[in-house]
Amino acid sequence: MKKRVILFASALGILAGTAQAGAGGSLLIKNGTILTVSKGAIAPGDVLIIDGLIRGVGPNLAAPPGVRVVDAAGKFVLPGIIDSHTHIALDGTNEGSEAITPEADVGRVVNADDVAILTALSGGVTMIHTMHGSANPIGGPNVVLKMKWGRPSEELVVREAWKTLKFALGENVKQSSRTIQVGGPPPRYPQTRMGTNAIIRREFLRAKDYMAEWDRYEKLRASKTPPPALLPPRRDLRLEVLADVLRGKMVARCHAYVAPETLEFLLLSKELGFTVAVFEHAWEAYKIADELAAAKVGISVFADSWAYKMEAAEGIATNAGYCAKQGVLVSINSDSGERIRRLFNDAAKTMKYGGLTEDEALALVTINPALQLGVDKIVGSLEVGKHGDVAVFSHHPMSAYARCDLTVIEGEVYFDRDRVVREREEAALKAAPAKKGGDR
Amino acid sequence: MSRFRLLVALSLAGAALAASGLTPGGGEVGPTFAVRHARVVPVAGAPFDKGTILIRDGLIEAVGPSDKVPIPEDAEIVEAEGWTAYPGLISAHTNLFLEDPRPAQVQTPADLAAAAAQPSPPDQPGFRVFAELKPRQTTVDGFLKVGVTTVLVAPARGIFQGQSVLLNLNGQDATAMVVKNPVALHVNFTTARGGYPSSLMGTIAYIRQKFLDAEYTAAAQAVYAKNLRGMKRPAYDPFAEALLPFLKEKKPVVFQCNNFEEVKRALLIIDEFKLNGFLTQANEAWRAAEALKKRPLPLLVTLDTRPPRTSQYVNQGEDLRKKAEAEIYPANAANLAKSGLKFALTSLGLADGPAFLKGVQGAIKAGLSREDALRALTVQPAEYLGVAASLGTLEAGKIANLVLTKGELFDEKTQVVQVFVDGVPTKF
Repeated sequence: MKKRVILFASALGILAGTAQAGAGGSLLIKNGTILTVSKGAIAPGDVLIIDGLIRGVGPNLAAPPGVRVVDAAGKFVLPGIIDSHTHIALDGTNEGSEAITPEADVGRVVNADDVAILTALSGGVTMIHTMHGSANPIGGPNVVLKMKWGRPSEELVVREAWKTLKFALGENVKQSSRTIQVGGPPPRYPQTRMGTNAIIRREFLRAKDYMAEWDRYEKLRASKTPPPALLPPRRDLRLEVLADVLRGKMVARCHAYVAPETLEFLLLSKELGFTVAVFEHAWEAYKIADELAAAKVGISVFADSWAYKMEAAEGIATNAGYCAKQGVLVSINSDSGERIRRLFNDAAKTMKYGGLTEDEALALVTINPALQLGVDKIVGSLEVGKHGDVAVFSHHPMSAYARCDLTVIEGEVYFDRDRVVREREEAALKAAPAKKGGDR
Repeated sequence: MSRFRLLVALSLAGAALAASGLTPGGGEVGPTFAVRHARVVPVAGAPFDKGTILIRDGLIEAVGPSDKVPIPEDAEIVEAEGWTAYPGLISAHTNLFLEDPRPAQVQTPADLAAAAAQPSPPDQPGFRVFAELKPRQTTVDGFLKVGVTTVLVAPARGIFQGQSVLLNLNGQDATAMVVKNPVALHVNFTTARGGYPSSLMGTIAYIRQKFLDAEYTAAAQAVYAKNLRGMKRPAYDPFAEALLPFLKEKKPVVFQCNNFEEVKRALLIIDEFKLNGFLTQANEAWRAAEALKKRPLPLLVTLDTRPPRTSQYVNQGEDLRKKAEAEIYPANAANLAKSGLKFALTSLGLADGPAFLKGVQGAIKAGLSREDALRALTVQPAEYLGVAASLGTLEAGKIANLVLTKGELFDEKTQVVQVFVDGVPTKF
């Protein structure tokens, strides 16, 4: 076995010379405990990345000439962490003015200068699903990004990922926490959960009419004798997105708290014929775990910290672990530019609350979010052929002592704790004498 | 000489100027001047010493070495020995002379209600800013003192803000000031107050939908024109109609880009609808230099060096922000020039003439050559704004906008001693 791996790696060394320049970096991470996520642990083991892709996972891999070697002795090597639900790296979160705004695409307002990208990298996060907010029943399309700090925004976008559209139910949408002021703007429809369900149905029915109108036009245009005054229908960006959801080109990601309302949305999706990929937050998922597992709908949740509003009151810390054991595809998310750096801590909580194993807990922030985003073929585990997105931790990531030391995306080092600490110390030394002079 | 002083006095007051019959473009004949023995920087060609510029009736009649430009008898002579003559500077984007009718801040429920009651957004692509101009002599003088004789005034409200006007700073009579109206449609990536769109992503969708609607209107009108009998007339859409000249006739559409990402967002829209797109503000344009080299388009670059809110230098402490404002952003123009890109410089975001001059000096200090700075304030904006035949250089036949200095233009110690706008002098 050992021999075969070495041969494989050296054969690739030759291939690497012919690979396209700039396609990604090359790196050999040696002698760590390799947490592959998909195929258990290899200790000690190596991960070889050539031109951005993983070309070897196993013991005693050799680095082709010129490839940098990182010693990970005593450390843990895992796939880059994936955050299935956050709002960082965007210029704006909510188009909250109206109830239905699927035309408001966050992919158009990516901000690669957001320092939260650095924060994410410091916690081993290499990929995020950054989303439209939950201000309206139908928000806007979301986008999947890699945390390539310093690169232009278009290079961050992961085009292989599913296209997703944000939906939201419950308190945010019906504006429960909004104080209606005398003389202020009138309340926005809907103001109830039933209204929310109704307006979503109404908009999809409009989208079906829109699709029929275009079909009719295309048929007439293709006919042998098209009518002389034939005019294409008016293009409507709002309905075009909903039509894409109905055509299966996009999947729904739905912010949902209360169990019955969550099931209602699932019924609605079956009635109208669209796919729900994931329910967000889903604090009451434990009540409907069987239904979610049967429908193959995932949940993306917090590990704890429930009861921050009325509809989160029945949240329980065992929600994630219990649902995972019932066969629901679960991920732990940050929903935040700060919590994003300690997603591994949050995932570890499911071992205490929910009784998951280390491997099962780690899956909640690696392969599970990858599956939820349709990128499990390229990321989420350490396997040959996948992207070289890797984090190196000081301890097992499910340990309370764990700290991310190195974050690599497609073979390029984007975060190196040693370097950051060294640069910070140098900057402090540089600044110190000047400050002393100023004091005098 | 006494007649000359009288003229100077007259030119200072707009009303008096109009009464004296010196209105540019009017039937009356303006005065004649000979600016003699100046060092001439025509921008159109190499600078030369001992030159004479002959000004008649608002236009440059002749420019050349003094021994080759005979001075007619009726000309007032301006002794310019030791002075340098430049074309009047053009700021290709300002929001001067506008009064904002909105409340400064939305605070009370009543404000909110009032904002919500306004048409949302208060966009009017057909709006011409000329209608709202309130020129003020103090502002005019402030810009003349630093050599700016011509400004593009664009509206400053909403997303589809309306259409700009090009003015010569010849007084405070808006009608007499107009060089060209309208010049361009101005689009800003802002949001509506209290209505849709309330986010940048909403704004981008809104802009695209409006251009799509204009395309639809154009298509519907074309089909209708061929089927007048038997076809129901298309619905009338005044918003779309106002966009048609920009969509169909390719009149310029100026996108205000507050940061690097907005440059790319504007380019996507410009390409999607095949617009004659300009980028303005463009304070992080150097970061998009590669994209702009591949796809050149007119750049109106502000001299305002405050980093945008989105900048990474703003989000990591005040020290870094100040450093960025003093060192990184002033180098925008120099970096663009190094990349071989053409651009005009503007005073957008700067309140007055002195702030503008400080901005130019900062750009030069950061590595922009004086020649590039001068071109970016003369021929380049004239070309972009479609007035290169009449403005931007010292050449016979052009509008007599010129600046006379003691010392090299933009130097700290240099004094602007006299400015001609539409052939009428102002002294300092």
